[in-house]
This record gives sequence, C-alpha cells and structure tokens, in this order.
Amino acid sequence: MSTELKPHAIGQPLSRVDGRLKVTGAARYPAEFRPPNLACGFLVGSTIAKGAIRSIDVTTAEKAPGVLAVLTHQNVPKLTEPPNAKDSGGIRIEERIPFSDAKINYAGQYIAVIVATTFEEARYAAGLLRVDYEVERFALTKEDAPDTAKQPEESIGEKLQQRKGEIAAALAKPDLVKIEETYSTPTETHNPMECSATIAEWPDAQHLVLYDATQYVKGAQAVVAQAFNLPRENVRIICPFVGGAFGCKGPVWPHTIAAAMAALVVKRPVRIEVTRQLMFSGTGHRPPTFQTIALAASRDGKLQAIRHKSEMLTSPVGAWVEACGIGSTNVLYDAPAIEFSHTVYTVNVSQPSFMRAPGECPGTYAAECAMDELAYALGMDPLQLRLVNDSPNHPLKGVPWSTKHLRECYEVGAERFGWNKRQHAPGSMKDGRLSIGWGMATATYPAKKWDADVHIQLHAGGKTIVKCASHDLGTGAYTAFTQISADAIGVPVEDVVFELGSSDFPYGPVAGGSNSTATVGSAIVAAAQKLHEKLAGLALADKESPLAGAEAKKIALVGARRLGDGSKSVSFDDILHGAGLKSIEAQGGIKEEENKKLGFQSFGAHFCEVNVDPELLSVRVSRFVSVMDCGRVINPKTGGSQILGGVVMGIGMALEEHTVYDRQTGLPATRNLADYHVPVNADIPAIEVHFVGEPDFAFNPMGSRGMGEIGITGAAAAVANAVFHATGKRVRDLPITLDKLLV
Amino acid sequence: MQYEAYAIDTAPGRGRPEAAQKIDIKLRINGSEHALAVDSRTTLLDALRDRLGLTGSKKGCDHGQCGACTVLVNGRRINSCLTLAAMHEGDEITTIEGLAQDSALHSVQLAFIEHDAFQCGYCTSGQICSAVALLKEDHARTDDEIREWMSGNLCRCGAYTNIVAAIREAREKKAAAL
Repeated sequence: MSTELKPHAIGQPLSRVDGRLKVTGAARYPAEFRPPNLACGFLVGSTIAKGAIRSIDVTTAEKAPGVLAVLTHQNVPKLTEPPNAKDSGGIRIEERIPFSDAKINYAGQYIAVIVATTFEEARYAAGLLRVDYEVERFALTKEDAPDTAKQPEESIGEKLQQRKGEIAAALAKPDLVKIEETYSTPTETHNPMECSATIAEWPDAQHLVLYDATQYVKGAQAVVAQAFNLPRENVRIICPFVGGAFGCKGPVWPHTIAAAMAALVVKRPVRIEVTRQLMFSGTGHRPPTFQTIALAASRDGKLQAIRHKSEMLTSPVGAWVEACGIGSTNVLYDAPAIEFSHTVYTVNVSQPSFMRAPGECPGTYAAECAMDELAYALGMDPLQLRLVNDSPNHPLKGVPWSTKHLRECYEVGAERFGWNKRQHAPGSMKDGRLSIGWGMATATYPAKKWDADVHIQLHAGGKTIVKCASHDLGTGAYTAFTQISADAIGVPVEDVVFELGSSDFPYGPVAGGSNSTATVGSAIVAAAQKLHEKLAGLALADKESPLAGAEAKKIALVGARRLGDGSKSVSFDDILHGAGLKSIEAQGGIKEEENKKLGFQSFGAHFCEVNVDPELLSVRVSRFVSVMDCGRVINPKTGGSQILGGVVMGIGMALEEHTVYDRQTGLPATRNLADYHVPVNADIPAIEVHFVGEPDFAFNPMGSRGMGEIGITGAAAAVANAVFHATGKRVRDLPITLDKLLV
Repeated sequence: MQYEAYAIDTAPGRGRPEAAQKIDIKLRINGSEHALAVDSRTTLLDALRDRLGLTGSKKGCDHGQCGACTVLVNGRRINSCLTLAAMHEGDEITTIEGLAQDSALHSVQLAFIEHDAFQCGYCTSGQICSAVALLKEDHARTDDEIREWMSGNLCRCGAYTNIVAAIREAREKKAAAL
C-alpha cells in the first residue's frame, strides 16, 4: 500500500473514548450480560495430576437445593466435531475437548461442572462430589520426564532450530572473550484482573450465542462452531470489553465449551466464571524455560558467535513451545555464527500458552543478561557493548530493517537516566546505607500485520460508524481505531463511533502479537479508500456537483468531510444530498503478505535503578526509563500506557512472579493473588517512557508498529543487571528473591 | 483411592445445607433502598452484581486479595466479596455507579480519565472507590503515601504511576477548592 496517511487526530494524546464507561462502571464485560433465566455453572477440577477417574459419585450433589445438572465425562453431550477440528481457523491450544474421557492429564483438569439456579447453590454442590481416581506417577519437571524430549522443527510458522556459520569453530577460536551461562525463568501466570468467563445461550438447537471474555471473537466462533458441528454463522460471540488478557484469552479454553455443553443440557443460558484459583490451570501460563547462552566476542566487543539452547515444558494435551530463541538472539545482534535450538519436555501440568511476548520475553531476559555478563568479562560498559553490536540488518535473514532507531533509544535513554555517571564496578554506588545498581537492556519485538476487514457507514451530517471484529483488552484499541478512522475517512474524531468485540462484524484477527493497530488500521485505510471511491462516483454522476466532469483519478480527500480534484471540492454531505442519500456504506480490508526485502521490528532500551538493603537484601526498583522506537505513535497517552504496563509486568517477572507446583499433588500451590505475587502500587517507582524514531510507512499507511508487548521484553534483564551491579551477585534464576541473594 | 473433589474454593458450609436460607433484607445503595430476598450465603458483591444489576463492582478474585470489588460502606472502603449482603442492613453503601452527581463525574473519575489511570478498566471501579476514601481520610499527602495506601488494589495492566498522578491531581484540586 503506497498511501501515507496524513496525521491530524493520529499522534494526539486523546483520552480513551471508552474512558467514561470505564470510570463509571458502565462498561459491560462478558460475564455481566444477563439473558433471562440465567443459570450458573461451577467448575470442579481434578486433585490428581495423572491417572483416570474410576467413578464420580454425584448423587448428593444432584439432590442439593437448586442443582439443575451435574455434568461429568459420563453424561456430557458427545460432540460430533469433524476430525480436522484443530484447523478450525481459531485457536484451541488445549486440544482435548473437556470431559471427553476419564483420563486425567494434569491437576486442575475439569472433571465436572455443576449447574444450579444460583452461584451459591452451584458452588455449594461442587463440594459434595466424591471422586475415585486411578492414580499414576506424574511428572512436573524436565528431570521427571527426560524421555519426552523433542526438538520440533516449527512453532506457529517459526523455524525452531536454526544456524548460520560454523558455531562450534567460532566458539573455539582463540583470543575471544567468552561467557556461557544458564538462565531459568519459572512458570508465570497471566492473571488479568478479569477472570475468564463465558455465558452460553442456545436460542434454538442450531444457534449458539456466547458472551465470552476473548481476544479473538472470530477465532472463538470458528472453534466452537467446529466443536459443536454447527455452521460458523450460527455461532455468535459477543465481547465489547475485556478485563485484561495478556494472551490467556486468545485460545478457546475448556470452560467455554463446558458452558455451551451445560446450556445445551439444562436448556437455559449458563454462565461459567473461571475462579481465580482455576485461572492457574485452566487458561494457560508461560511455561518454565531453561536457556544456555554462549557468547564470544573479540576484544573490541564485536560478537563473533551466539549460541542459544532453550528448553521448556509443555503439557500432554497440547503442543505449545515457548520459543525463547525467536525474537531474541535471532534479531538482537549480528555475528558470523549464530545457532539456536529448542527442546521441549512433556509433563503433567496444565497447557502452557502464549503470554505477553511469548518467547521474546524470556528470550530477551536471558540474552540481555548474557550481554551484561559479556560486558563485564570484556571490562566494557554494558551500553557500549550494545552500541558496538547495533546492526542495520536482520542477522539471520540478512535483509535491512525497514526503519531502526535503536541507537537513538540508547542515547536518549542514557541521557534521561544519567548513565554516564555510572561507576562500572559492582557494589560501588551507594545511597547512604543502600547499595545502588544501574542496569540496562535492549527491548525488541517484531511488527506483525495479518488479515482484517472493516465496514464504514457514513451518515450525512452525522456520525460515522466503523466496525471490525477486533478487541480492546485495555490496549486503547477503541481510541486508536477512532483516531485512525477520523484521519482515513476525513471526519472529525468526535464524529467517529468505532464498534468492535462482536463476531457479527467483518473479520478481525486475534488481538495478539501486538498486531491489532497495524492490521485493523490498514484495513480502515483500505475501507476508507473504498468509501472515497464510492463518494467520488456519486459526485461524478451528479451534473450539479462541483466535481462533475472532474478526472476520477485526481479526486482525493482534501479536508474534513471533503473530496476535491485539486481545483474544486465538495463536501461528503453535499455529495450524499445530491444523490438523495442519507448515508453511504463501504467495506475494505487487507491480507497478510510477506515482505522478503525488509525486516519489520521495533526496538527499545530500558534503564533501571534498584536499591538493595545490604542487611535485608530486599530489592526495590527506584527508577526506570524506557525509550522505544515503534514507528509513529498513534496515541502517545494510551501508547505510553502500553509500555508502562509492559515494564511493570517485567519488574514483576524479575522480582516476584512464580507459579509453584506442589510436588505431592501437582496442583499450582500459589493459585491465588496472595501467593502469586504481582507488583502492587508500592512496588512501582516513577517510570519514564519516551518514543523516538520515524513513521514506518513501508509497514503500513499509519507508519505505526505494535506496542503491546515490546515493553516487557528486556525489562526483567534491566532489573537483573541492576541487581548484579548493586550486589555483585548474578542470580540467573528468576524471580530474584532475597533467599537467592543470601546464598 | 478416594478423594474429595478439588473444592478448595467451593465449599463454605459444606455438609451443613441448613446454613443456606432465604432471608429478606433491605440494602441502601447509592441513596436508594432495595428490598430483596437473598440466599444467606450471598456476598455483598454478588448481591450487587447478580441481584441488583450493579456490575460496576468487579469480581477479580472473590476472596479479598485484589480490591476490584471495593465499595464504600458508611464511607469506609471494604472488599464487598468478603462480606455477606445480609450484614449490611442499615448501612449506607456507595458503589462506583453512585459517585457521579447527575451526569457530572467525581473529580477522581475525571482525573483517572485525564491521566490514563487504567487500561482494561476491570480494577478501575475499585481503584476509584479506594481513592475517594483515601482522599477523605487524608491518606494521600505524598506520592509514597498514595502508593502504600493504594496497594490493596491490584492493577495487572500496570497503570500504577498514572493512578498515583490522578490521585495527586484530585488531591490538589480538592485542596484548591477549600
């Protein structure tokens, strides 16, 4: 697409268009719809991690007051999904259909759903089930399951085992400075504030409506339609607001199918809200990773060899690979020899899945800590080492980056942070009795753009309604899409009403991979062009129009609600009036296409200050500066918030977050927000976010690249490197808790 | 091998079905009185959301760890998921739906919009209710004090720095108005 969109509304720090709804409690999230006669479903999870259900005694539960049905593997409706259900077009990362057999694959796997007239009754009855299990020995760690090791070739279109040059020879060369270390990250759980939830309603035996907390209405529609063997258009998904997701609401998880099954059985709408406890096993997590990185550099710091071996865990019911080498060591720096590999082990834990910057997030943590270690091995400033290795090309593909302003990120960040006052030696900086540490790291995330279609309805003298089956997870999509629509269509921003979150609307992709603004924005521009062509056609056909007889090719948007040919112009409203129309509609879209000549990637730099109490060894982040190059920023206010949020989650990853599994039961022991620590307000210092760079028009007409995930990449490394600088201790196993600093 | 079901969060009053009874209560919420018959096990949060359609108060954990359900009871902020509806007869309950006067937003609501002090919006009702009480208690005198006193309200989107800025501004506006 050659169009470069002229920014008017774009680039303005507009407050969220849905802000008023959110601060008054009026924004309606999926579990808050109230179809008449709504019943409540309550999920019951397995207390064993591997084996089979011998029997479930449901008699007491069934007789409990208010109970409408107790669904188990013995009585759920048998689904007649076709054999290709995995390729439905949506995402079903846990491949097993719930209750499909008696087998238990992980602790917390749903074994029953109690349906009752109220939540209290359903929850009470859930405690009355008695289950007899056949218990088997289960595996929780890779050491428990060495024989399950696999090296898959691909994961979601990315090659997982790659090399360039002769890595063994490059690492063996004399006169190079080398480091090789293993970094591990624990299981981390998304924990958006809104738990996953589905309300299922069957208006008749062939039609299903789901109010579903999802990042992918069209995907949920596709998966559920396949599972229940319905035509896709017979399934509607409604989700105007999502209470955070971070990846966990991208796939269709078992509770959604369970809700539809339950509603079918009791012939009433059924709501299932996943409890916070079950969010730790029922809606995905980032699996633990173990990454061994070897780096070799010449004395001037130039990297000569990069080897990144990653190991991670997956479950028996799906095939997710946390691809740590993708988006970290394959894009960050160039070297004559690069090799990365992935080995995945299968254990009896629930299904891992994508969580904010999957692969890139743990990958950049390990890679950027390794770079810090290399800097110390070289006796070089860590920032200087990055500057020496800044590369204009994609290291593996060899093609140039469309635009890359990483150097500017480093320079602006260093200036804002005061990096030049840093003393190199660990433990050398003090603030009274506290040790101060300054660390930095590079951030990076690919720019992605998929398929989307957008429908526009422009009313004469009134509002313009723009629709796409997209999503606002808190990302500010409603606002960014409104701004893009205003500029693309040529109407004031206050005249645009952007609607999303319904499968009734034209196709929008999963709100994942930081793609939404680039994808939907490009589709808005394409649809707006269609609208302008239609309006131009009407003007040309109208003998009274100032544009009558103009050259069609020359007609373009010349101002707010105005088309012109360079000399004469006419308003949208006059065109419609002349044609006797009250409104006009148009639809347009884009298809994903591979660009073989350019690499599209965002980069950034994080600078972090920690203080460490020398006696208590408690670590506090006291300052953070992030500078990002994400192309043109559609809205610096909401875009800035995306980066802030990524940094906060990165601080949590570095210092707090850890889903611990109980060796006795296989259950997540930390399955609540008191035991699974996420940052609270008092954990988070002032964070400065800056944007640099230029519009990336080779990528899309807005010149923008995604921002949802880049903030978390490298953030944990910046904290870990600061902790090393403060203490001289290199903790290579996240989270960095004080017990690890005591050793 | 016999096991209980995974019922860690399932079974208040398990084995004591007599604990459940229907009771008639009157709740005073946002200045209006509501008469309803509730299951005695109904939390204030579920009464608001499921019985009265006041879904502005959010269920983030259902056991007092996240603060998304924060409402004001007689001016004090509480987790409405940790208290039973039947315990609040005669109390003055204010939820997020009751903070705006007619159509004019409360100064804290305005400041939250201006400073982008939320993203997904799911913790926002609780954050705002807490912030309103905090200002009233004069527990927002410094940024550090705001951070400490707002730490019972989790925000997974990570809007904390903007929440502090919003509350700071609301405090300054309140002081200027005095």
